[in-house]
Amino acid sequence: MIVKGHALHIDRANIDTDQIIPARFLTGISKTGLGQYLFLGMPGGPEMLAAHPEANVVVARENFGCGSSREHAVWALTDRSFKAVIAPSFGRIFHENSYANGLIPIELQGEGLEAAMRSRTVDIDVSNEKLVFEGGKNYGFTLDPLRKRFILEGGFMEWMATKIDTVRTWEASRSKE
Amino acid sequence: MSRSLFEKVWDAHVVEELPGGNALVFVDRVVAHEITTPQGAIEIQERFGDKLYNPDRIVAMNDHVSPAKDQETAIQAQVLRTWARRHGIKLYDIGDNGICHVMVPERGYVDPGSTMACGDSHTCTLGAFGTFALGIGTTPQAGAMLAQCLILQKPQVMRIDIEGKLGHGATAKDVILYVISKIGVKGGTNYVLEYHGSAVDAMSMDERMTLCNMAIEAGATSGMCEPDETTIDYLRGREAQPAGEAFEKKAAHWRSFRADPGATYDKIVKIDVSDLRPMVTWGTNPGEVVPADGKVPADANQTSLDYMGVEPGTALASLALDQAFIGSCTNSRLSDLRVAAEVLRGRKVTIPTIVTPGSQAVKRAAEREGLHDVFQDAGALWTHSSCGPCLGMSMGVVGPQMRCISSTNRNFPGRMGNGGRVHLASPAVVAASAVLGRIASPEDLQAVDTREKVLA
Repeated sequence: MIVKGHALHIDRANIDTDQIIPARFLTGISKTGLGQYLFLGMPGGPEMLAAHPEANVVVARENFGCGSSREHAVWALTDRSFKAVIAPSFGRIFHENSYANGLIPIELQGEGLEAAMRSRTVDIDVSNEKLVFEGGKNYGFTLDPLRKRFILEGGFMEWMATKIDTVRTWEASRSKE
Repeated sequence: MSRSLFEKVWDAHVVEELPGGNALVFVDRVVAHEITTPQGAIEIQERFGDKLYNPDRIVAMNDHVSPAKDQETAIQAQVLRTWARRHGIKLYDIGDNGICHVMVPERGYVDPGSTMACGDSHTCTLGAFGTFALGIGTTPQAGAMLAQCLILQKPQVMRIDIEGKLGHGATAKDVILYVISKIGVKGGTNYVLEYHGSAVDAMSMDERMTLCNMAIEAGATSGMCEPDETTIDYLRGREAQPAGEAFEKKAAHWRSFRADPGATYDKIVKIDVSDLRPMVTWGTNPGEVVPADGKVPADANQTSLDYMGVEPGTALASLALDQAFIGSCTNSRLSDLRVAAEVLRGRKVTIPTIVTPGSQAVKRAAEREGLHDVFQDAGALWTHSSCGPCLGMSMGVVGPQMRCISSTNRNFPGRMGNGGRVHLASPAVVAASAVLGRIASPEDLQAVDTREKVLA
């Protein structure tokens, strides 16, 4: 799986999920149609998006997606055709939600992140866990070996469903103790 | 082998080790509310035959916007309601509901040593009971309703020893703000914060819940306190707990969930709170915090300064306020309301002030003590239970550049309303600030003495 990426550079740390999508837009019961609210809580967010209509990869600084558990933050990104977020670190819940929805959370620090911050294009080879920036410079990254399948094939809920019998057996043995 | 409290709870719930350091972890109870549950419930209905692993392991409540403020929130509540009825899930609804993190312990739905999850980041509040409780997204929550488990990377454990006796008007809220300022807003990421020490032992359950509630603001997976007699006494007689011998048998088991002497931790932080004073945030994350009588730091982040309309060196006490809010899963329990009422008794607020109890049961208990009269005599609005303006959804949302002092948990840009400026503080500080119309601690109030004038 190869993503031909165009970067949206957000040169800030601690972009929380309230900035990604404010709570006043969480009043629906659907996972779709949330792209219109993306970054409406981030100072300068709408202008940034308007200036980069082609963007499909977010590049940001540390602790991206911290705060609220709202999966709407991931849905708003994917609804707007974003495929990946590159940052040195993520809020844990956002990180888990990304995998469950096929949004690629790429942890990249140091020189690699600075290169990403400079490059307009970001090509992502998901299977081989490799990034290629403008000028051909490339960097490796590491995905969770279990959750990587949810990015490549989807099927988070189906995978969970395969565990029901195992869990029931475990629970029955626990209650005997 | 010696184990931490967290490790004991974790070990008792691992169903299966998975590749990449992951584990399949059993969830004893899922908490469901109207904002994040409907999408997952609908997915299970449409794609998995509407089959839940065990509806008895779910408790539901309409809590964020209740009653509904518009058609959209009415639909959310109705979806949760019909889903709960269809599956026989216990539902708390308009008239007898509350913020889930207030209500779940209040009704006794939390067992020390158990695991709990909810599509809400402040689920870590329940860790106050020695529970491994964590916030998750809608899809993992749906997975937990389908298969009663989560895929988790085992978190590391940070032991936070909090010693000393709280004084100088400092509260549990000031302790957690101080902890966050020490470890940073991402310092706890992929850790569970395990709180120990004499200051924690001395805390009530309400205070421990405040301490654990904001573990997420340090990025932590959860916060946990060891269950003790305070914990057990709190839970005895609560609605979802058995009575008599059956309860005491459970309690005996709960007492085993203590960290072993010699347990090892991935990180240890030691804090003394004897000299701690009330804390107030100046910036746009909970780690940007100084004492209430302090100044905005010289090395402050420019984006935060711009958003908050402050400069390095600005004294917090010089900041005029437009609104005060007491409420949220952090600080809306009966003890919080008592503290705020004590400050407001016989005084008048000078800015719009909203007091929102954490649950309808808290509201009724407060009214039995006459606290509603204290708040209303002071000129504050006394509302029904709700998440309200904490997350900018209803009942007191702030406008652009409006400055609000708030007993809540997040001062993120736009959190309480687009462009709004939020200063986080304890209920006592919010109440004192509401009287003076600027950021102030109760100590400042005594200095300017407004109470006597009102009484006279």
